[in-house]
Amino acid sequence: MKLTLGPLLFYWTRQQVMDFYAAMAEQPLDVVYLGEAVCSRRHEMRLDDWLEVATVLADAGKQVAFSTLPLIESESDLKWVRRLMDAARDDPRLIIEANEMGAIRQLAERGQPFVAGHTLNIYNSYTLQLLAEAGATRWVFPPEIGRSALAGLQKEKPAIETEVFAHGRLPLAYSARCFTARRYRLQKDSCEFRCLDFPEGLLLKTREGMPFLTLNGIQTMSARVYHLERELPGLAANVELIRLSPQPAQMDELIAAYRGLLDGVAAPMPAGDYCNGFWYEKPGLDWVTA
Amino acid sequence: MASSFELVCPAGGLPALKTAVDHGADCVYTGFRDETNARNFTGLNFDDKSLKEGIAYAHQRGVKVLIALNTFPQSGNWPQWTAAVDKAAAFGVDAIILADAGLMEYAHRTHPQLRLHLSVQGSATNYEAINFYRERFNIQRAVLPRVLSMAQVEHVVKNTPVEIEVFGFGGLCVMVEGRCALSGYATGMSPNSYGACSPGKVVRYEETPTGMETRLNGILVDRFAKDERAGYPTLCKGRFEVDDATYYAIEEPASLNTLELLPDLLRIGIRAIKIEGRQRSPAYVGQVTKVWRAAMDAVKRDPDHFTIHPVWMTELNKISEGQSATLGAYNRPWK
Amino acid sequence: MSLPFKLPQQLPDFTLPAPLAKLGDRLPQLPPTLALVTGLNLGLGRLIPREPLEPLIGKRFLIRVTDAGMSMRFAYGARGFRPVFDSAPPDLTISARARDFIALLAREEDPDTLFFNRRLLMQGDTDLGLLVKNTLDGVDLPRFDPSRLTLSELLHRLRARLATSPGAV
Repeated sequence: MKLTLGPLLFYWTRQQVMDFYAAMAEQPLDVVYLGEAVCSRRHEMRLDDWLEVATVLADAGKQVAFSTLPLIESESDLKWVRRLMDAARDDPRLIIEANEMGAIRQLAERGQPFVAGHTLNIYNSYTLQLLAEAGATRWVFPPEIGRSALAGLQKEKPAIETEVFAHGRLPLAYSARCFTARRYRLQKDSCEFRCLDFPEGLLLKTREGMPFLTLNGIQTMSARVYHLERELPGLAANVELIRLSPQPAQMDELIAAYRGLLDGVAAPMPAGDYCNGFWYEKPGLDWVTA
Repeated sequence: MASSFELVCPAGGLPALKTAVDHGADCVYTGFRDETNARNFTGLNFDDKSLKEGIAYAHQRGVKVLIALNTFPQSGNWPQWTAAVDKAAAFGVDAIILADAGLMEYAHRTHPQLRLHLSVQGSATNYEAINFYRERFNIQRAVLPRVLSMAQVEHVVKNTPVEIEVFGFGGLCVMVEGRCALSGYATGMSPNSYGACSPGKVVRYEETPTGMETRLNGILVDRFAKDERAGYPTLCKGRFEVDDATYYAIEEPASLNTLELLPDLLRIGIRAIKIEGRQRSPAYVGQVTKVWRAAMDAVKRDPDHFTIHPVWMTELNKISEGQSATLGAYNRPWK
Repeated sequence: MSLPFKLPQQLPDFTLPAPLAKLGDRLPQLPPTLALVTGLNLGLGRLIPREPLEPLIGKRFLIRVTDAGMSMRFAYGARGFRPVFDSAPPDLTISARARDFIALLAREEDPDTLFFNRRLLMQGDTDLGLLVKNTLDGVDLPRFDPSRLTLSELLHRLRARLATSPGAV
């Protein structure tokens, strides 16, 4: 089973991003997803910067994928996606992860293979089949559904790799509005890029003080970290890749722990406020131990 | 084109359907009584008998009936959704509203004559996505998520042959529809698979000394002071703490009202206006349909001199969720 | 005991005078409860389908007409609605003013609207409330005439019904 690093969902400075991926090039990862996968206003990294990172990672033997924006609002968003597609077409070491149907239409038209991202709502094998016919060579299981849905999908799966989101704050919702800007009474178009101040998003608590969600610009995430450590042995038999989501601290330990689980070498798992309810078709924030 | 600027009204049951028809709807949209649609609330929706009767009632009066099958089937329950598509076709509905690509492929292959609409749950916000569904499944209409500005909506209309339908009035999702797992995260039941956001079985209202508390699966969503207007118990409309401030962290309990945008919507070529609210009662359906019929007739007669009748706004504000009506994303005060 | 006035086409907004709530509080609650369950039972199986109400079996309800000081406790069972006499906690409590209950029955007001305005409160098992609301909303009946909702009318119909089917209630 391969270990992948999902796209960076938070907004970090260009230097932080470059340093992070320089470190990741040294890590035992098989696939690394790059590119802005949340907000089209985030421009710390230019296309050339991403290509530079891609080269470093590819030279280190990793497969590199560029993730497209899950929410396309304007022609300039479409243009950004087309530039990513062009870059991937020109370099056989790159592939696109498509995160909405508009990208898929264009990729299919170009005959360019792609990874079907988890925001595409692939809930059944019929939808999966259709995307495979459009050119998907890999798909990412939507984290908001669970093990029985995956089992059903695997039964009639076309010849395509399956990737499961195994660790990280869950991406739960997308909006045209920015909730980080809203907190600081800023307009979205003059948000002062406040997301840069929160390398792991902004914690949202209930009025009773329970940590509940994470505000990450236009994206709403879980406060708890999704964590499929115990489920990994079962997954290994059925899926080809598992995904870890980038986080600002302890990434090396996390990779070592998961890598160890895959290779049968014990390594300590970093502690955290974990959840896995979605996997068991329970409320997502639940932690199922049985 | 003006004659096909349709008013699409909600019906959670037969009386609401008849009320919508009687008050001037061009189309009524409905759902079966199960998780095949995104308003799967207890006791709501149509059984076979009431749907047949509703279709007959509407068709006798020249009104179309649409049925939403806009949730995402899984491999294990797939036959339930295809059976619903077959039944809708057999009953003679005028179109089915779908979100799942696999199901769309099934409907297109099995019932090539059946008109397909892309549901708002399909999350298509750009013309490339809409054209994908057009080329593959010959969809005739797409309902846009409530996240685009007027200019962005216009850009979509200009770049697709698919008819575009937008929400005009009612409850307001601030998240991209079909991409929101907040309800599932808190309750295990989400619009995408269960067919309901914040279903009643996990909602509790409680009078406490500090006000009325709303809880979703035990999670405190909001607390309303005496006489403060309340909203639905959905997470996106709750009050939470972020960085030491307590406020509506995602959105106030406000609803959408685009009456003043009607001339623009007509001008840019919107083909249908959707009224939200299949979970509301026949009284709501009657009140909203009456006002929107009058307004849409007025704008079609004379789009350059359209003015909003104050009574319309009073009527609509009365039945709205929360303190205020907003223009949603069409006009972006938060942008 | 029919209403001494004809109800207008649209109900005006009114609250019963406060002393009435205090007085109502001290009056026996059985007669209005009986009238209510009798009315409900008359509709059962005819206007109101039984099948969707099955989840209500064994559940206890409390309807509070706040401005009339009226609390009607009843339960639903396999044989229909019946008043309950103890004060065990109900599964669902619905509270509103008399005017708003009448407007709801007449389908003039939308319950969500009343809820947003804090004029309708539902406590306990919200799903039971939704079931009741949606089932009643789904009943396809000729326009409800509130002037027929009088005690004498209900008693008359009850008597007629008892005469034909003994022990039905």
